[in-house]
Amino acid sequence: MAMSKSTNTYNRQNWEDADFPILCQTCLGDNPYIRMTKEKYGKECKICIRPFTVFRWCPGARMRFKKTEICQTCSKLKNVCQTCLLDLEYGLPIQVRDAALKVQDDLPRNEVNKEYYIQNLDSQMSKFDPTQPSNSALKSKGASDLLLRLARTAPYYKRNRPHVCSFWVKGECRRGEECPYRHEKPTDPDDPLADQNIKDRYYGVNDPVAEKLMRRAAAMPALPPPEDRTVTTLYIGNLPENIVEEELRGHFYQYGEIRSLTLVPRAQCAFVQYTTRSAAEHAAEKTFNRLVIAGKRLTIKWGKSQGRQGTNEKSEPPPPLEPVPGLPGTLPPPPAFLHPFPPQMPPPPSRPNDFFNLHYAGGWGAWGAPPPPALHYPSQDPARLGAHAHASQPQT
Amino acid sequence: MPKVRRSRKPPPDGWELIEPTLEELEQKMREAETEPHEGKRKQESLWPIFKIHHQKSRYIYDLFYRRKAISRELYQFCLDEKIADANLIAKWKKTGYENLCCLRCIQTRDTNFATNCICRVPKSKLEEGRIVECVHCGCRGCSG
Repeated sequence: MAMSKSTNTYNRQNWEDADFPILCQTCLGDNPYIRMTKEKYGKECKICIRPFTVFRWCPGARMRFKKTEICQTCSKLKNVCQTCLLDLEYGLPIQVRDAALKVQDDLPRNEVNKEYYIQNLDSQMSKFDPTQPSNSALKSKGASDLLLRLARTAPYYKRNRPHVCSFWVKGECRRGEECPYRHEKPTDPDDPLADQNIKDRYYGVNDPVAEKLMRRAAAMPALPPPEDRTVTTLYIGNLPENIVEEELRGHFYQYGEIRSLTLVPRAQCAFVQYTTRSAAEHAAEKTFNRLVIAGKRLTIKWGKSQGRQGTNEKSEPPPPLEPVPGLPGTLPPPPAFLHPFPPQMPPPPSRPNDFFNLHYAGGWGAWGAPPPPALHYPSQDPARLGAHAHASQPQT
Repeated sequence: MPKVRRSRKPPPDGWELIEPTLEELEQKMREAETEPHEGKRKQESLWPIFKIHHQKSRYIYDLFYRRKAISRELYQFCLDEKIADANLIAKWKKTGYENLCCLRCIQTRDTNFATNCICRVPKSKLEEGRIVECVHCGCRGCSG
């Protein structure tokens, strides 16, 4: 470990110098005018025990002066604020963010191991763009909407309050009005949130605040998929009044191919059926409790099992299918006496050479649009898009 | 400091009139110097020293400049014997600094951002009805 500033600079990490701290908005406070002091090598980093540049400022009236607690290297490794050790994008504890983004960051905790690891990363980090999180594990992750929902919307300045006046707790505070510390009851020592440890919070292990948040995340309402695997229909309720089928289609087509979308305006609901079960599940996950159209949050539920799409749906009888032209009709049964050559041939089909429907009786009006192709098979029905098999066997 | 006559000359004429008060202030200062520090903050133990120092200088200043009760010779004698602080009195002669508590509170080199002490802020500019006791001398506001 570095003993003094010039000890053993060969292949060892030096004391840290910085120009500006890496901080979150809440730590900086509400006042846009801040005076900050900078002290080179003011304190040791709480994680890597290396002297670093300490920045100290007042985050607002009646707030305690905050200072940077960990060095910039440690904060860049985890993409956190140097003072509060919460994520810079979401303001959430490291453990929560790593669990939601499934980031496996194995930072060694042992002294020499840790120094070696940090030393290697430090040299790499200095080459990268400082505006991106330099931790490669975090760079590739997109926005997680679980984290967006868990994150605070407004800054939480209660974090910047002064500590509780311990003299007042004992009844001995002689400063009275002038005392800058809080004259309030201290937090209950039995509360699990009371014993937090900066190292535990940094490494994402055993953090009571994170555990509380994750419990809250698990308790958030969710839509479990039904056990019947053939159901690919979602019920959509609380639709705005003037909703158009095209608009709904526009919201739902991104999750997968829509087999059918039925709107029931008088019940302000709709049913969307996907061709694959996974598309339906994906849609449910993305839109449940989230999709808002024209200010109304849509209720998403699973539709009932296949074929029964609610009592209100206008059900069409399957369109009558014309027999395919040009095929021979069914053969007559062979005559009772099995003559080798039956004397009569089966009658020929009605229009023997009409394979391309050229003798169509209606004719075309002056080369106008060709007639719609006759439906001989259900898959020719244009309302049933997709080349998937019959509905009773949906693919997963 | 005083009590030791550095000048070898006898004090000028009005000395006997002011001597008892000065003697009393001396006594107070000695008590403040020997007080135990229990129950007080580190800075708080020094506050009485600054207060009594201010009081002594104030007494001499008032006698000469305000009440004109002593001669210039006696006033100069007090300054030479360091009974009153000449530098502090020099500040009191300036506008805005008439009630200055001590010289530490206007020393900008002592602060992080090269400002004066909080006690130099007038009460009208200091919102929130905030009570301040400055850390140097315990002053509660010397200009507002």
